[in-house]
Amino acid sequence: MHPRNPHRRPFTGAFLTGGFAALLAAGLLAAPREDAPLSAMARHALAVSLPDWKLTEPVNEIVYGTRGFDTFGETFLLLAAVVSVLVLTRPRELRTEPMGEERAGRREQAEDDPASPVDARERAARRAERAEQDARTPMTPVVRTAVRVVGPILFAAGCYLVAWGYAPGGGFPAGAVLAGVMLMVYAAFGRRTFGTRRLETAELAGALGIIVIMGLGLVLKDAVGADWVPHAAERTPASGGIVQPFSVAEFAEVGTGILLAVHALLGARHDWTPDEAGAGEGVPS
Amino acid sequence: MIVGNYLAAAALFCLGLHTVLTRRNLVRMVMGLSLMESSTYLLMISFAYRAGSTAPVLLDPPHGKKPEQLAHGNVADPVLQNFCLTAIVIGVAVTAVFLSVVVRVAQHYRTLDADRVRAMRG
Repeated sequence: MHPRNPHRRPFTGAFLTGGFAALLAAGLLAAPREDAPLSAMARHALAVSLPDWKLTEPVNEIVYGTRGFDTFGETFLLLAAVVSVLVLTRPRELRTEPMGEERAGRREQAEDDPASPVDARERAARRAERAEQDARTPMTPVVRTAVRVVGPILFAAGCYLVAWGYAPGGGFPAGAVLAGVMLMVYAAFGRRTFGTRRLETAELAGALGIIVIMGLGLVLKDAVGADWVPHAAERTPASGGIVQPFSVAEFAEVGTGILLAVHALLGARHDWTPDEAGAGEGVPS
Repeated sequence: MIVGNYLAAAALFCLGLHTVLTRRNLVRMVMGLSLMESSTYLLMISFAYRAGSTAPVLLDPPHGKKPEQLAHGNVADPVLQNFCLTAIVIGVAVTAVFLSVVVRVAQHYRTLDADRVRAMRG
């Protein structure tokens, strides 16, 4: 155990937090209350949602219609975050070392991270890590059977949320449902049941779909994100014009994005710092 | 009194801020950031609330009203609900990035104490 860190600065932290709390409270006490009129954008969305878009969910009209361009940007923020997680957690690559960077990196790492003895706690953590990675069926048959039964139902519920557009946000909550189902599958059957390559393909297909949907607006209607899909009657899967395909692409993007991030974190190997010189544990195989 | 919600959100935010400012454990700092993030969800949903309102759904409106009338009636603000929805998804992704960095720091330096991670200190 390390000694208690003397640099926590509790009084400075409390003073700064208190000052910020006072500012925040003053601002929020002057903020609009529950009797304030709706914003112009909300009134516009409520007014056009049903007659113009054939949507019974104004939130969907805002996410994929009025604020469609913002959602487009947020989607690629999500994609950037997922790519960052993948890059940060990927195993060290074996290099051919044409410039000697491997040796230089090792020397620098040795300076930054002087050898420290491996204690019993670390050895136990390594054993648990290996056991987790080797485990194929970590849960009992009861859990696995339950997941087999419940998983498809919940997956169908996610697809229903997207297809019928009843859920506020469409693809966003449905993607979260998809990620939840897959995490249940992970808990029951282990990490090897995931197909990372397929998830990455689905994620990029979702992103490409959003680009195509937005880009076709420019080609067909002279504006990026313009609604170019014919509107069907309300309360049908084809109502909402551009909203529904956008929502489906977002479903793929959000669901697979969350799964990829979780999968990358679960598979982050302990492979950057060897335990001790020559031991080789933790060095990528 | 929706002001209670506002102040609860402010309290949650400040709790997270205090954690980030005073804790040196990287996991606790990420938890503090998540707390700050969560407080904004509560604040946005509270801003969206309108007294005596219904959900902004134009399906099966209250008795005696047409869906079109809801547009001019008393419903919760759908724009802020939209902000909250996207913020949750982006928040999950950003937290995953933070945790990835923490995992790598822990593996590389064998500590979660921010004060002991000095390689980039200028």
